Amino acid sequence: MVVPAAEPTDEALAARAAAGDDRAFEAIVMRYEGRVFRLACRLTSDTDAPDVLQETFLQIYRHLPAFRGESHFGTWVYRIATNAALMLRRARARRPAESLEAYLPRFDAHGVHVETPTELQAASHAEEILDRQFLAEKARAIITRLPDLYRDAFVLRDLEEMSTADVAQVLGIEAAAVRQRVHRARLMIRGYLSELVAVKR
Amino acid sequence: MNQIACISGVDLLMDYLEDVVSADVRQALDAHVAGCARCAAFIAAYCETPRIVRQATATGIPADVQRSLRSFLRDRRIGPDAS
Repeated sequence: MVVPAAEPTDEALAARAAAGDDRAFEAIVMRYEGRVFRLACRLTSDTDAPDVLQETFLQIYRHLPAFRGESHFGTWVYRIATNAALMLRRARARRPAESLEAYLPRFDAHGVHVETPTELQAASHAEEILDRQFLAEKARAIITRLPDLYRDAFVLRDLEEMSTADVAQVLGIEAAAVRQRVHRARLMIRGYLSELVAVKR
Repeated sequence: MNQIACISGVDLLMDYLEDVVSADVRQALDAHVAGCARCAAFIAAYCETPRIVRQATATGIPADVQRSLRSFLRDRRIGPDAS
């Protein structure tokens, strides 16, 4: 019986790549290119994502000798990819800030939800009610419309499923600020999905 | 903290879910949600939102983008095919 060799850890690959092992670097590329590309699409656009991808792996290659393992290798990769995405986004024409306040939950004078339970839960049914392609387009669109601060935190925390502590490290902010930004993004997107479902129903 | 309104519950929801609220706040929120169908419905949708958007925006890397990346790295003499 042949026992398959255990996959090397990220940290082991990083150490070999830093020492000049090109095969190890290729293994890192293969392991992370999909995730970095997906992150880049979510933080920039499908059009800009290939440039972010290339810049990320160039920076990883250049900075591998300086990787000391103070964070998980994956978090380190995400930090480089996020910085590359934010740099590229800054270089683009600044889009006018859009108010998404209309999607926030509404309350009466006593602080009670104005909407009915059915209306409040409508977003949960987005996948049943909406066409898959339509939902994909709208989901991408609403991420783009979020204020940048909310978008970055939401993408890393909720879409890439990083821990709040790791997002704080990547974005260089406090964990409380991550929670606040992710919360605002979730509120806005929930309201937006509710509206899509209501229109379709 | 005995009573809480929906609006306060929504404000505290993320902290509640991440378990960074005090025990008395948690207790007050639990008590409120247990008796408030609106908040229960809202929280269900709030918790589902990330997963729905995550699945809707999940994309694979296209083969031409992979090829471009390999070519980009090779041009800079990075990787196994650099020489």
